[in-house]
Amino acid sequence: MTEPTVPAAPTVPATPTVAAGPSEPFAPAGVVWTPVSPRLTRVRRLLTALWLGPLTLVPVVVALLTSSPVAWAFVAALLALDVWLWLLIPRQVRAMGYAERDDDLLIRRGVMFRSLVVVPYGRMQYVDVTAGPVARASGIAEVQLHTASPATSASISGLPPEEAARLRDRLASRGEARLAGL
Amino acid sequence: MSAAPGLEPDPPASDPSWRRMHPATPAIKGWKVLVGVLTVLGFQVADDLRPLLEDLGGRAVLVVLGGVALITLVGFLYSLVAWRMTRFAVTDDAVHLHSGILFRQQRQARLDRLQAVDIVQPLLARLTGLAELRLDVAGGSGSNVSLAFLREADAQALRTELLALAAGLRRPGSAPAAPVAAAPAVAPADDASAPVSTAPAEGERAGAEAYGPFPAPAAATGPTVPSAFEDAPERFLYEVPPMRVVVSTLRSTAFAVVVVGLVALGVAIVQTGDLEMVFFALPALLGSAGVLWNRVNRGVGFRGAISPDGIRLRHGLTETRSQTVPPGRIQAVRLSQGPWWRGPDWWSVEINVAGYAGEGQDQAETVLHPVATREEALLALWLAVPDLGVEDARALVDAGLTGVDDDGGFVPSPRSARWVDPVGRRRRGVRVTPTALLVRSGRFWRRLDVVPHERTQSLGLEQGPLQRRLGLASFVVHSTQGKVQPQADHLDGRTAAALLDEQAARARTARTTAVPEQWMRGR
Repeated sequence: MTEPTVPAAPTVPATPTVAAGPSEPFAPAGVVWTPVSPRLTRVRRLLTALWLGPLTLVPVVVALLTSSPVAWAFVAALLALDVWLWLLIPRQVRAMGYAERDDDLLIRRGVMFRSLVVVPYGRMQYVDVTAGPVARASGIAEVQLHTASPATSASISGLPPEEAARLRDRLASRGEARLAGL
Repeated sequence: MSAAPGLEPDPPASDPSWRRMHPATPAIKGWKVLVGVLTVLGFQVADDLRPLLEDLGGRAVLVVLGGVALITLVGFLYSLVAWRMTRFAVTDDAVHLHSGILFRQQRQARLDRLQAVDIVQPLLARLTGLAELRLDVAGGSGSNVSLAFLREADAQALRTELLALAAGLRRPGSAPAAPVAAAPAVAPADDASAPVSTAPAEGERAGAEAYGPFPAPAAATGPTVPSAFEDAPERFLYEVPPMRVVVSTLRSTAFAVVVVGLVALGVAIVQTGDLEMVFFALPALLGSAGVLWNRVNRGVGFRGAISPDGIRLRHGLTETRSQTVPPGRIQAVRLSQGPWWRGPDWWSVEINVAGYAGEGQDQAETVLHPVATREEALLALWLAVPDLGVEDARALVDAGLTGVDDDGGFVPSPRSARWVDPVGRRRRGVRVTPTALLVRSGRFWRRLDVVPHERTQSLGLEQGPLQRRLGLASFVVHSTQGKVQPQADHLDGRTAAALLDEQAARARTARTTAVPEQWMRGR
């Protein structure tokens, strides 16, 4: 365990999505964030459309049949929600990122509700790689890290399969090298 | 029954290293079926049963009784077969347990991952002198190994042996992985282990001095167990007086709810003159009475002690439980106090231990001290975190328990947090010492969480839109499953970010110097 403490790379800029600078809580200085695949946007939009589409269609039909102003107002509200989500999803995907440091993995996400998780490699108990049917068709997968704490919500979605496999193996080998008990 | 393909074949019945549970086990376990059936009948089916009985007349009672007897008989038979099929063995590295009737299970619990050992005695087992030995390994829910039931003396001997093995001691002269001979009441191995095992006690005493003016355990000369060979010596630390348990239960929110409920019921009955209401209220009342009874039942006779094997806790009125938590197994500690306990200054001390949670058990086993005075709370905290890393630990803990703002060097939430937490803002605070992180919160329900640096699993930083406006962020320490989930809400954003960064580094260095898994071995 004699690594150099912090990688001396203060010149590396943060990604453009977050204003750089040490004062920003969600952009620690000297961290290079790897963004997730933009294909995640498509997958998320499709999945959202799958449940929101029928949900929007039903009121539309009702409004057409009754032509009551209340029903139309409801439809308008739903459509506004649809548009908002449609625009929000790409921003959310852009906000996701991860960074592999010497001793821990950083994962950040969220536009309005932001979160940043630091998982030391030595604390990892196991790593999951999963992909649903839509994600598989788009060629992305999700890597989830598990520690002994159920509160650790460390998952990275939107990784190309080869990157997911690389990350999994890398995390596993790093975890082994730094293995600590509980 | 022959072993299924894929499983290693069961050892021959004559193999002395494989042992069975006590033959009385099925008799004790079978009763559970009867109790279960009666409970279901009493609570669920009672209403349907009454018209049925009226329809069928006198014979129906016989039918019902016969049914109950039949189910109970099946329960006993099942327990008997299950007992026949269950055997266990102890090697130098693991405990092996083979069980199951149709679906065979062969479980192996690694001793170096041992988190805690409990001896549990339900009432019936206590009357018959039996006990259940429960090994907690950190494998999530259902990962524990339960050896039920053994003779009490056997269970204690086995616990001693397991703890010695888990600590890294070896049976002298035994070939590797040589299993124990049946029932080592006085294991010869302990001849050697006893002198070795007293050594770390000196280290514990040295740790006590870190707390300065504490009633150091060396001074607390309670009844110590005579240094028999079979058990590590333990030093008595505290015992909860029964009266305090009762009074503390009466001073709880649960009791207040019961009183209010009873008064409301009384008023309603007087007003309406309708006695039927009692029956509607009965289940709720019984439920709350059960909760209160449980608190008393668990708290009475609660004793804490320390030994080289770790912390020893003993409690329970009807069902007794004797817990041993080896050193370095406590992941986090919480000291908390409701508004009703403020007068006598009582605190409850709870802990996170990896093996204990996720078992579907109520909080019986995660309590380090049910009702502690300030002194005892400090002592209990010292048990869990021997070194807080500061000169004046007492002042630090006092500031954490009752202080506000920057008392005791705590970093409080900034003033802007009053918009999101007007009531508790001044109590919110974090303090980092060289060895532990202290998180303080709660104005009426006071709370202090302590996490040793080497026990943090992962760290998180969270921020909502409102918090961003106010320049705040929440700092979360992820601990193992349990009641203690330390979270410092509404810190200054930059402070929280710096904390996250430093804490990650601190946790890293602390882990490299932490107590080894096998605590009697050098690193």
